[in-house]
Amino acid sequence: MAIKRLFVANRGEIALRIVRAAQALNIETVVAVSDADRDTAAARQADRVVVLGPASAAKSYLDPRLIVHAAKESGCDGLHPGYGFLSERAILPRLCAEYGIAFVGPEPDVIDELGDKLRARAMAKAAGVPLVPGSDCVATAADARREGDRIGYPVLLKASAGGGGRGMVIANNGDEAEAGFHRASAEAVAAFGDGTLFMERFVPQARHVEVQLMGDGHGQVIHFGERDCSVQRRYQKLIEEAPCAAMPDHLRAKLHQSAVDLAASVSYRNAGTAEFLFDVQREEFYFIEVNARIQVEHPVSELISGFDLVQEQIRIAGGAPLSVAQADVVLSGHAIECRINAEDVHRDFLPSPGRITRWEPPTGPGIRLDSHMATGAMIPPFYDSMVGKLIVHGTDRLDAIAKLADAIDRFVVAGVPTTLELHRAIIAHPDFVANRIHTRWLEQVFLPGFGRKAA
Amino acid sequence: MTEPLFPEALKTLIEEFTRSGIRELHIRKAEFEVYLSTEPSSAVLRHAAPAPSVSPAPASAGSAPAAVQAAPAATAPAATAPAAAKALPDNAVIVTAPNLGTFYRAPKPGAANYVEIGSKIVAGDELCLIEVMKLFTALRAETSGTVHSVLVEDGAMVEGGQPLFALVSE
Repeated sequence: MAIKRLFVANRGEIALRIVRAAQALNIETVVAVSDADRDTAAARQADRVVVLGPASAAKSYLDPRLIVHAAKESGCDGLHPGYGFLSERAILPRLCAEYGIAFVGPEPDVIDELGDKLRARAMAKAAGVPLVPGSDCVATAADARREGDRIGYPVLLKASAGGGGRGMVIANNGDEAEAGFHRASAEAVAAFGDGTLFMERFVPQARHVEVQLMGDGHGQVIHFGERDCSVQRRYQKLIEEAPCAAMPDHLRAKLHQSAVDLAASVSYRNAGTAEFLFDVQREEFYFIEVNARIQVEHPVSELISGFDLVQEQIRIAGGAPLSVAQADVVLSGHAIECRINAEDVHRDFLPSPGRITRWEPPTGPGIRLDSHMATGAMIPPFYDSMVGKLIVHGTDRLDAIAKLADAIDRFVVAGVPTTLELHRAIIAHPDFVANRIHTRWLEQVFLPGFGRKAA
Repeated sequence: MTEPLFPEALKTLIEEFTRSGIRELHIRKAEFEVYLSTEPSSAVLRHAAPAPSVSPAPASAGSAPAAVQAAPAATAPAATAPAAAKALPDNAVIVTAPNLGTFYRAPKPGAANYVEIGSKIVAGDELCLIEVMKLFTALRAETSGTVHSVLVEDGAMVEGGQPLFALVSE
């Protein structure tokens, strides 16, 4: 049954994005806010606002019972979790089901399956999706050399009880694999009391690519192309693009098929993203995980496909079938998004909450801004520091880079420091322009130079 | 004045005063005296033992839920704090909901309410229940005093920070 009143269980730009998508579908909205978010753009735009509790996320946005109670009491028949917070916690759709509220997302059991990395890998393997080549348990140094030879170097030796980088050794050949076994095993015994190791191929220069998926919950799954999110700092994405210009077409088709096969194998419902490591040298990709939610970077896929993913999410949650067939999804041009954070890039990315005294974003053809900010808006210190996403759409990658550079130059923000200046410098870097980047590029190559010039 | 009647009569008086547009009202009768004013700077009576002086917008009114717009919900709008909440005695203490939930005045259906208007309470006394998905949490008074008014209907959804009771300390 189509949703009539949608509860928005999130904040910031995505809450506003969801409200607008619902309004475009003539659906009423109720936005849940914490005490610190009473006067936000989503709250003003919504038909109704309910205050959940104090600013602390644990007592507001992260309390599933509080959220579902509020949704029920405000007469909502649908709930959108956004991203982050409770978006991938199966308890939220389970509580929704108890109260007859349609959850805008996958089935709770599917969320649980995908959230468990080992089970997700097993599902991927069963669906024929490539995984990073690796070994079972490695018991001796001789085993390590034999497995290393089979997998192909460099390899990573990892403690199976491990975590936090301890008991991890990189080996570039058979001798290093044997020596590395002794070292990693000893480290693992010392750290975890268990010297059991396993090995997997180490990809020194990998790209992060991911496929945008949408499923109807009955086995039909379509994709909206891939994104390249290789500009990362501490595993946080800063810049996302669509498509992945570094990927050859024959591989791209295989990537899309793998992602669709995986999602179809669990009759995936609603929006999801299959993430992969892309080894450019070997022209291979390996499954990482599935994110069972709409993602921050979904706008780049929307710009190249001309399709509103959030509206489709809401329709599907209301029981509608997919509104497009794969053949009708036509991707064109190139889109780039930068996540604007209120952070001081010259003080080790220190989050800098405060009041925005000037907010004058650029406008024009091919420029999109997803933001809840305005002049006078407050960035509270309790949540993440993202103040918006600037997204551009160009005819090709270089055109998109030029548009983004121009858009950033015309973007005036005052009151708090933002990462806009960093984005401007990244997209002007020769490596970025030539598309010679990988997931460690920002930290290993770009930031050291950026710090020097800034100092 | 007998204690239980007093707050209700005063509440009615304040409501009428607020509606009337009169800027100042001073009533003195036997042992009873009340002074109402819309001027925040106006004189406050210091004599006359129980005489509560009333200023129209104590700081506590600022904590009333801000935004409840064009409520589409079938349930009552959450901000039910009546006009009286805006015109409470200076020494009134507003008890607010710690989080969103359903407000219950009694420990179970059919039981007596935890408190009534005029009830004398001491810090730690239970005032009401706030239910979140069948989890009932008792809300306890942080100060001692007399219940001056109950600002929310039994069984209504309340939001985080919404005023529930006004207490008058001794």
